[in-house]
Amino acid sequence: MPRKEIVRGCVSICAGLVIWEVLTRLLLENELLIPPPSSVIRSFWRMAISGQLNKHFTATLIEFFYGFTTACLVGIVIGYFMGMHRWFDEIMDPWIATLYSIPIITVVPLIIIWFGIGMVSKVIVVFKITAVAIILNTAAGIKNLDPVWLELAKSLRLSRWETTYKIRFPGALPYIITGMRLGVGRALLGVIVAELMAANAGLGYLLRDSSETWDSPKLFVTVILLAAIGLASFNLIKRLEQKMAPWRQSAEWTAE
Amino acid sequence: MNKRDGKLATSFLKIGSVAAGLSLWHMLAVYVINDTTLLVSPMVVVRTAYDMLFVTGELYPHLFASSWIFFYGFILAIVAGVPLGFVMALSPVVRDYINPWMATLYTTPRIAFAPVLLLWFGIGGGSKIAIVFLGCVFPILINSYYGMRAVNREYVELARSFRLRPWALFVKILLPASIPFILAGIRLAVGRGLTGVAIAEWFGATEGLGYLVFFAGQTLNVPILFVGVAAFALLGILGFEIVRQFENYVTPWKKQAQGG
Repeated sequence: MPRKEIVRGCVSICAGLVIWEVLTRLLLENELLIPPPSSVIRSFWRMAISGQLNKHFTATLIEFFYGFTTACLVGIVIGYFMGMHRWFDEIMDPWIATLYSIPIITVVPLIIIWFGIGMVSKVIVVFKITAVAIILNTAAGIKNLDPVWLELAKSLRLSRWETTYKIRFPGALPYIITGMRLGVGRALLGVIVAELMAANAGLGYLLRDSSETWDSPKLFVTVILLAAIGLASFNLIKRLEQKMAPWRQSAEWTAE
Repeated sequence: MNKRDGKLATSFLKIGSVAAGLSLWHMLAVYVINDTTLLVSPMVVVRTAYDMLFVTGELYPHLFASSWIFFYGFILAIVAGVPLGFVMALSPVVRDYINPWMATLYTTPRIAFAPVLLLWFGIGGGSKIAIVFLGCVFPILINSYYGMRAVNREYVELARSFRLRPWALFVKILLPASIPFILAGIRLAVGRGLTGVAIAEWFGATEGLGYLVFFAGQTLNVPILFVGVAAFALLGILGFEIVRQFENYVTPWKKQAQGG
């Protein structure tokens, strides 16, 4: 059954590409609207050779990496305390809820005003998006811990640190990973938006540059690259989720 | 003692936190930074909002333009997403053929499509509606798919033993059983649609809330920027609540439908 699925998927992709190529070759004489796959591949090759692709790709990756890792650390700590202490939860709740309900990309101009057009502003954007998702999920994970486990910890006379390390953290881990998964998609969107708005490197910049110079093959290369990154990061996190929390059945795709 | 006191303490903490945060913001803006191109006091923001709403009324055209785009994109997403999700759930062949394209489109950051859509549909309403549509359609489609897949087998067997025709099976069993899921998807789509509006209006728009925010950002008009951001947040909360109320009304047997 899964093999059939894969075969059909490949057939569908190949057929789609062939139809795309043939239609664009036959119907359009201008490559501006939809460039045929062959010229997209040629453009990709040219960009890869010139090192342009590498430069923008690394810029985005680094921004994403810094923002994401710091957000994971800070988010887990804050979420942990929110889950453990009622009063802290009450104090943080209105602010987290406000941050959560603001569409990310509307605050990007503000972040650029504050932190400039360099790398810092993008790292902050990624940080904000990921941190909120992880804080909310970590807090939920700590709160929803099965009380039986805590009783077990008590009867084994685990110290506070051991309880945290051996019981609470692993118990909350599936939630934390869910938070990460939600964070990845949105943070990717956020970093691209920030780069589109003001930057001198990064895939978002490339997107803007190619659309403003009407270089459609280049534009499509960027779009396809972004699709690949999205797909790869999504599958990576899904793998991680299945490994860390195999008892939770995870969906093929999950709505955010 | 106990419960009521606890509630009182809770709301006290919350209000205290908000008040402390706002006054800290005010202090920071007025005494520390003291630069209106960076940060302004919340009082200035409230005054600007008041002016834009009741004195000059300049917020309304933006609000109206944004709601129009949002509304069309959202309705189109429901009209296209629900049937497609159903078809994919009912026919594995269709699902397998569509799946790779869907997964790719869904996991790509939506903003990547904005310049392409702009190229195809121009800077008018069409491209904006398409961007909102692309944002909304996936949660709705995916939840319709799962809703249809998750229908209790016993209901279907019951329908079989009553010899329901396929159409009656669909209308009486499959559709009502998947409605909670669809509504949960629609609830998720509200937020994504709003983000879509903001993205759409940033590319070559002349009005709308997204335009307001980006224009204010580029002219360093921080008070208007804050008003625009707050408007987005309020609309998001409002839309979310409306759908949730609707959910409670339509599917009273389910307190909270699980999103996919």
